[in-house]
Formats: sequence, structure tokens, C-alpha cells
Amino acid sequence: MAVTEQFLELAANGLVYSSIIILGSIGLSLIYSIAGFANFAHGDTMTVGAYATLIAFGAVGGAGFSILGLPLGFFVALVIGIVVTAAVALVTERLVYKPLDIGSIGLLITSIGVAFIYRALIQVQFSSDSRRFDIDRLRPIEPLVEYGIRITKHDIAIVISAVTLVVGLHVLLQHTDLGRKMRATADNPDLARASGIRIRRVELWTWVLGAGLAGAGGAFLGLFNLLAPRMGFSELLVIFAAVILGGIGSVYGAMLGGLLIGMIVSMTPLLSTVGIPIGGEYAAALAFIVMVLVLLVRPEGIAGEPVGGG
Amino acid sequence: MSQVNAREYWTDMNRAEQGVATFMAVTIGGLLVAMLAGGLDPTYFLFLFGLGGMFALMSLGLNAQWGFTGLINFSVAAFFGLGAYGAALMTATNSPVAGGFDPIFGLVLGLVLAAVFAVAIGIPTLRLRADYLAIATLGLAEVIRTVILNERDLTAGSQGLRGIPGFFENWPVLSTFPEAMPGLRIEIIPGQPVVLELSFWEQLLNVSLLLVFLGVSFFVLRRAHRSPWGRVLRTIRSDEDLAKTLGKNTYWYKMQAFVLGSLVMALAGVFFAHLNLFVDPSNLDPITTFYVWVAVMLGGAGSNRGALFGGFVVVAIREGPRFINELPPAPVRNVLEGIINVIPSVTVEIPSIVLDAGPLRLLLIGLTIILVMRYRPQGVLPPQRELIWPDAIDDDEKARPEMGVREAKTGEIDD
Amino acid sequence: MLAAGCVGTTDEDNGDGGSADDDGSADDDGSSGDGGGDQYSIGMVDSLTGSLADFGERNQRGVELALEDVNAIGIDDRELDIIVEDSEGNGQGGVAAAQKLVNQNNVPFLIGAVGSGVSLSIYESVIQGTDVVQLSQNSTGLALSEFPDLLRMSPSGQSQSAALADIVTEDGYDEVAITYINDEFGESLTDAFTGFYDGEVAFERAHDGEQASYSGLLSDMNGSGADAWLFITYQEEFATQVNNMFESGYEAQLYGADSNRGNTVISNTPEGSINGMKVVEPSAPVEQDSFQEFSSRFEEEHGEEPTVWSAFAYDCVITAALSIKAADEFTGSALSEVVRDVTRPEGEEVFSYEAAYEILDNDGTPSDIDYQGVSGPIDFNEDGDPVGTLQVLEVQNHEYVPIEFREG
Repeated sequence: MAVTEQFLELAANGLVYSSIIILGSIGLSLIYSIAGFANFAHGDTMTVGAYATLIAFGAVGGAGFSILGLPLGFFVALVIGIVVTAAVALVTERLVYKPLDIGSIGLLITSIGVAFIYRALIQVQFSSDSRRFDIDRLRPIEPLVEYGIRITKHDIAIVISAVTLVVGLHVLLQHTDLGRKMRATADNPDLARASGIRIRRVELWTWVLGAGLAGAGGAFLGLFNLLAPRMGFSELLVIFAAVILGGIGSVYGAMLGGLLIGMIVSMTPLLSTVGIPIGGEYAAALAFIVMVLVLLVRPEGIAGEPVGGG
Repeated sequence: MSQVNAREYWTDMNRAEQGVATFMAVTIGGLLVAMLAGGLDPTYFLFLFGLGGMFALMSLGLNAQWGFTGLINFSVAAFFGLGAYGAALMTATNSPVAGGFDPIFGLVLGLVLAAVFAVAIGIPTLRLRADYLAIATLGLAEVIRTVILNERDLTAGSQGLRGIPGFFENWPVLSTFPEAMPGLRIEIIPGQPVVLELSFWEQLLNVSLLLVFLGVSFFVLRRAHRSPWGRVLRTIRSDEDLAKTLGKNTYWYKMQAFVLGSLVMALAGVFFAHLNLFVDPSNLDPITTFYVWVAVMLGGAGSNRGALFGGFVVVAIREGPRFINELPPAPVRNVLEGIINVIPSVTVEIPSIVLDAGPLRLLLIGLTIILVMRYRPQGVLPPQRELIWPDAIDDDEKARPEMGVREAKTGEIDD
Repeated sequence: MLAAGCVGTTDEDNGDGGSADDDGSADDDGSSGDGGGDQYSIGMVDSLTGSLADFGERNQRGVELALEDVNAIGIDDRELDIIVEDSEGNGQGGVAAAQKLVNQNNVPFLIGAVGSGVSLSIYESVIQGTDVVQLSQNSTGLALSEFPDLLRMSPSGQSQSAALADIVTEDGYDEVAITYINDEFGESLTDAFTGFYDGEVAFERAHDGEQASYSGLLSDMNGSGADAWLFITYQEEFATQVNNMFESGYEAQLYGADSNRGNTVISNTPEGSINGMKVVEPSAPVEQDSFQEFSSRFEEEHGEEPTVWSAFAYDCVITAALSIKAADEFTGSALSEVVRDVTRPEGEEVFSYEAAYEILDNDGTPSDIDYQGVSGPIDFNEDGDPVGTLQVLEVQNHEYVPIEFREG
């Protein structure tokens, strides 16, 4: 196969995968900068979203007209899934994180416990087998195939939905009161508090938005591939790589980081074609190495603030 | 060391220590009773003990990194795996690179691999701040696991390495010990004999190996911790800038602690290879790292005794669900139902949730982490007297002077 | 009898001749770790969860029917009890399960496992060196033949690979692209296939199990230009691969081995996505009365016809039960002496547990019976492998339809 064809095919798929990663990395970056710790439960939060959407879709059903091959019911289920994920995150924050007074490392470790509990509860209900949404799979879009691009309407729907959510977030951050407060708190929490911003509310909203986006990402991941209890944790490190590359504290950095890491992971098979003997199975490993390099050379990432002392 | 009699020793312990000691005594006592009554097979008990000791060993290693020096190392599973693979690659029947060598070579290879990769991981990560160190070590551990999984020509990939012999298979006396020992049949309760045969004696050899590893590591780490070197590590943990101000090359110290801890973890891996006789990439799954973290957290960071305690609790969490697959567990349920149903005309069935072992394990680990962080973040046995040379503790009360200094000089009494 | 509280050696227990051999397993009072004195307990390692869960389900159904038949008559007034542990479809799980069965439950007979790599790992890491008899219910990987004491009920995959090579050639393809699961089973069947196949192997690559997507692999397969694609992998993985193929618009003539076929594939792939695919698997003796009876009982119970895998599991249990009946004592060494003979061609052909039991009960020896299983004549050879035939299935209208038989 010609290199250009393979390139286009991988790039197209990479765009879809990146959309999903971006939804995860924005949330993680927001939580990191406002709640102040690395949330190791973020991957499993995506899993929660995926399964919540699955259950909701099972209840709502696939009736109604279809947009891009997805029944209206799916979008309804998606919204339900996002709301449920946000609710789960709020409950967790209230029950687990808030009462703790142990610094960001302690919270990091606690979030690992939370991740296990999310996964355990899902596995109790669903066993560890994989499942798919009860939506017909689609053939690739015909006219694009001759260029080597093999994506389906579902893929387009994922990208468009992700873009919509991200644009929505952008609007919220730039043009609403809440957004202004969130940005202020992320920049300088003490100053924000001093100027009368109720940090607590900002924090809660951060969890809602962060978890909600993650939940959407999980649902799309389930649509793109399949659903399994491990699905979120498998992406967690990739999302961390994206956040670190983009720079913690910058939502736009997280978007850029998500795009770059998503593309790196998806296009790894290209390396073998051009003679570098790193197979596709090392895609995630490659992302982690990029992450470590970033930490060594420029820990603040592309768009983050310079990292202060330890 | 002054003579200590048992009673004084007991009252000297604080409540946490007393609690743990009681708990351990009750548990071990219970297990012994179960064994002598023929309910718990002694060979399997030794196997579980081996697993517990293995986690305890890994906890000791992590303690050297996190407890002593404050390094958040999430690559424990990788070093455990490197030790196991080192042992397996030298001795397994289907090893693509070697196979059939004496296990001593496997031990050496495992330790060498651990040291090399500890330096390789340490170089980029040890300068990072705590949370980045955590993420980076987790990522690099995954890279190692991916390589082991995919480089089939080196490691046999997901097939795993099998047919690993016992550690002592080529030793003159010990290798024939299991067959030479007579099969024993102990009958304390008639009809429920306890049979100690070949597999028991083999397992006993394994456990002896573990005890040697544990003993050596415990001793070495304790001395290190109490030494001036250990003191520098502790300073780094509490305030790295201070250590730097004192002129210490903190990076170098951290590297040493990291390598030392990794060697101990690899030792656990070598033991595992000769216990389980089978090694595959799933042994490097991150969940192993988190089991060991739970053990250290439970035990108390910096406490070697706590690490041992934590190791055994973690094995209970890991293996228990194999036997208990309902909540509440069947025996508990039966007892409760029996009590409640004594009330005439009341027949109550306590509802139970059937859980598979997999999710139950995850649930227990998750809950343990959250509960420990919430209610006892310093662990059950945080280090106290461990850090002080015994000679420095006076067992006798110092004589209190009759008068304060000022009084003595001026005759006035302070309010 | 030893007085309570006394410690003695197990040498005195070993019945005849006081041999110095003291490495038998459970004692002969029937009181092993579990079960009371009125049961014979054996162990089974099965893939109840994981990639091979479909096989686990089929096996358990076969085991249920077998236990019904055995315990309707019993074994010397005792019931047969099977302690089943989950291997989770991987080597580590299998080894842990076998450790528990052998060390805690002290079983002298272990049925296990499904995955070939799992069976080998259990054998080399747990069973070898003990006296426990191991009989694999479903493993078809070639390497098991190298271990004569590792018995199996399903024939070696070598015949499948030969048949697949013939079929691909007969269908007119002189180029083939192969992908296989990266374990003992996948590797050995692929090696055998490439050995037998005359045409060109345009593409050959292993893949990991339980991945969320195989798009990269399939894209490369497509790039090889071959129109015949051979998949030697498990159902979950194959279902994912089919979905990826469908969504990428790849078309090819598909071939598969015994491991691909299952309900998981059918229910998780789009209609029509695998039509025309040909699969080779061991076949049951469909003409045989005992199989037809087995089949109708199975259909009554489960609403569908049995696969040969259920028949294998059924026969494993019957063979174990007959061995227990025929053996001098309930120990691994005694059982291993008789387990082959109960099915070997010497002796009268019997087609059910009942018939075999009758002969054994009337002072029959193991060589007096030749148990013909519902899965075939069995007849373990010196490598511990059975005799078998193959059947070829084709997917028509998204269903597996048998189209021919071939000699094994």
C-alpha cells in the first residue's frame, strides 16, 4: 500500500481517536489545576460514562430517526450518561476527597482507590467480557475509500460531537461568569479567593465539567471500539501523556496535547513502513516515552505555566 | 540490650502494636487450628504463606523508596517482573534465550536486570516532583511490560515461561530433602488426618528460601535506615531543599535508595518464579504495584515491621475472594441466620450478593486504600522506636531533681 | 488404625507390599480436603471467564450431562464430585487454579484446560512430578503431543492445519494472509499450516489477545494483497477483528480454526460480515447412536445442538469415572495405570457409562472394555492423543452450517 494512502487512513482514524483523548485530557487538566491533584480515577470515570450510556441506551432504545447512523436514542442516552458520570464524580468528591486533609499526593493515592471501586462495581454488574452498543455497524464512507480513508459515519459523529462539546466548553470558559471564575481560580487560587470567588462552587463545577467530558469520551470510546471494564484505565496513561504534553493548567494545551498524542498513538504503524522497526503494538509505549521526555526537557509542557519548586 | 520480660514488652507497645500483635496471634492461631483439624491443607497454607512473604518482601523494597526517601514509585510491578523473568529466562524449559541453567544464575540475572533498569528509570524520573514521578514511573513500567509482552523471541511473550524448577534443584542435600523426608500422617481429630508428604516438604523448602530472602533484606534495610545514610534519606523525604542546603547530592542518594529498593523487589520476583514455576507478562500488571502500595500504606510508611504486616494482609485480600464468593460469607450468614431464627416463627434468610473473585478483590483494595487514607494515613504501625538505636532508650526513669534550677539558685518558686 | 493424637508415616498406609513409595496424593479413605467419605472428588480447570468463555460454557453443559449419567449409577456406591476452578483463559489463572486443586483439594485426577498454553503451563508447573492424571478437554495445540502423560480428549490441531491448507488450495487461492493469537495454540497451528500449505504466505503476524481494536493489523493484512485470510484466534478477538474489517470495508475469503467459531462471534458481528467463511474443527461421530441420544438430550436442555466440545467434556468425565471404578485405589498412580486402557480398542465396545460399569462391576478389568465416547472412539495413543475426524463448516446467513467431513 502506498505510504500516502496508509498515512491518510491512519490520520483519519487518528482524528477520531484524538477526539476521544481530548475529551479525557481536558477534564483531567481542569481537575488537576483546580482541585489540585492528579486524578488517577479519570480513566475509570470514562468507563463509568461508557457503561452509564450503555444502560441508558438499553432503556431508551434505538427508536427515532438517525443522525449519521446513530439513532436519536443514542444521543439521549449519551446525555444521560454524561449527567450520571458528573453525578458520580460529585458524590465521590463529597464522600471521599473533601473530608481528606492530606495534600495532593494523598489525594492521588486515594484516587487510585476510587478507580478500583468504579471498576469493581462495573465488573460486578457486567463481568469482564466485552460488549458493544446495540447499533448496527456501518460500512466506510464510499467516496473516501479510494483515497485510502476508511471511516464510517459513526466516526464523523464522534468527531463532530467532540468538537461541539469542546466549543461549548470554550464558550463557557471565555464568555460566562463561571468560566471567568474558573480561569481565575486555575491561574491563582489565593487571588481568586481574595477577590470574592467562591472556590468551593468553582471546584464543584470543575468536577461536573471534567467528569462529564470524560463520560462523553468513554461513551464514544465504547462506540469506536468496544466496552470492557478495563477500557478507561487502559487510556489513562495516554491521557496523562496528553495533559503533560499540553501543559497542566491550560485547557487549550490539553486540547493540543490530546490531538498530538492521539495522532502519535494512531500513526505508529507508519514507522514500520518507513523502515523504523517499532511495531504498532508499541504505540502506547511510544506515548509514554514522549511524556517522560517532556517531563525531562520542558515539564510545563507546551502551554502550561512554568513549574515551580517541588 | 537490657533484659526485657514479656509483660514489660507488652505494656511497652502502644495500642496499635498491641492490636496488630493480637490480630496476628489470633489469625495464625486460627489457621493452625484449621490445619490441625484437617480443614486447611498444610501445603496450601505454606503456599499462601509464601505469597504473603513475597508481598512483604516487595513492601520492604518499596519502603526503602517511599518510606525512607519519599519516592512515589509506581513501577514496583516492573521490578518484580524483571526479577521473575531473570530467574525464568535462565531456568525455564521453554526459555528462548537460555533455560536449564542453575537457578543461581537466574537470581544473578534477575538482580542485574533490576539494577540496570532501576538506573535507566531513575535517571529521567528522580529529579521530578512527586506526582510527576508517580506518573512517569507508571508509564515506564508499562513500557517494560509491553516490551516483555511483544519481544517473543526474547521472552516467549504472552505464552509465558514454564517448567521452572525449584530453587534448590541442584543443591546436594536440599534437592533430595523432599523425597527423603518420610510422609507423615498426623491425626489429632480422628478421621481428619493431616498428611505431610512430598508436596509439603517441597513447599517447606520454598518457604525457607523466602525466609532467607526476607531475613537478609530486613536486616540490611534496617541497618541502612538507622545509618547516617538513612538519615540523609529521611531528611530528603521531609525537606529536600534542606538536604541540598546541607550539601548533599540528593539526586545521588535518591538513586541509591531507588536501586536498593528495586533489588529487593526483584528478589521477590525470583522467589515467585520458583514458587509458582510459571511466569508470564501478566505478572507485571500494574495491579501488583498497587497491592504493594496498599501493604506499605497499611503498615505505615517507613516501618519495616509494618511492611511485613501489610504484605500478609494484602495476600488475604488477594486470595481470600477465591474462597469467599458471597457477601456476607456463607459461614457468617449461617451463623447469623441460626441466631436470628432461634426466635420462634421467624425464618429469615439473609440476602447475599454473589460476587466473582475478580471484582471482589478490586473492591476490597479500593476500599482499603480509601479507608486507610481517611482514618489512618500514617498506617497501622508507623515507625517510632524503629528509628532509634535501642541503646538510646533508657528503661529506667531518670531521676527527677527535687528543685528546679532557679529555685536552687535563688530560692524562688516558679508558678 | 492409628490412635488419635498419634503421628505415623504414610508408608504404613500404602496397601500392598509396604512400598517405600510415599508420593501418592489423597489417601484412600476418600476423605480428602473436601467432600465427605461418600464422594470421589476430582478437579477441573475450565475457562469460565475470559477469551475462551464460550468453551467454558460448552464444557460445563457437557459436564452436567455426564454427572447425571455417572451419578445415576454411582461409582461403588459413591458419587462423583467435580471441583471446578476458573482459569480465566490465561496461563497464570490456570496455574493458580491447578495449584489450589492439587494442593488444597488433593485431587488425583484433573480435567484441564481449554487453552493449549494453559494446559502446558499447568502440566509443566504443577502436575509434572506429581502423580496427578491430567486430561485436557479442549486443547488442540500441537505441543501437547510431546508430553505422553498429558492426555487430551480433543485431537491435535495438526490435522486441522493440514485440512485448512488443503481447503485453501482447493478453493483456488495460491496466496494467503495469516494472523494468529500469540500463544501456544496460535503459533503451533500456524506453523503446521505453513508447513502443509503449498502456496505463498503473503502475510504472517501474531496479535495480542483482548485488544480493543485490531485496525492496524487488518490494514496491513489488506495491504498484503492476498484474497484469502486465515484467522487462528479466539472468539472475542475474532469478533473485534470482524467489526474492524467491516468498518474499514475490507473484503476477503475468510478461513478459521476450531477456536474462532462460537456464539460470541455470531452475536457480536454484523449480519453478513462473515458469510462464506470456512472453519475446520474436530467432529463428533454424528452417525453413532450414543451421540444422537446425547445430542437430543442436550437440545432438550439447552435449546440448541451441542458442539463437539461439549461432547469432549462429557467424555472426560466418563473416562475419569470409569478409571476410578477400574483402579485399585483412588490415587493418581493407580488411576494413571488404567485411564488409557478403559478406552483402548482391546475389549468389548461399550457406548455408555452404564454398559461399561456393568462389565467392570462383574470383575471386569480395564482392558475388558473399550469405551466409545460421544465424541469418538478416543483410543489414546502413545502421545496421549485421541483419534478423531474433522468437519468443515461454512457460514451461511450468519450461521455455521456443516458442509463436509474429513479424515483426521
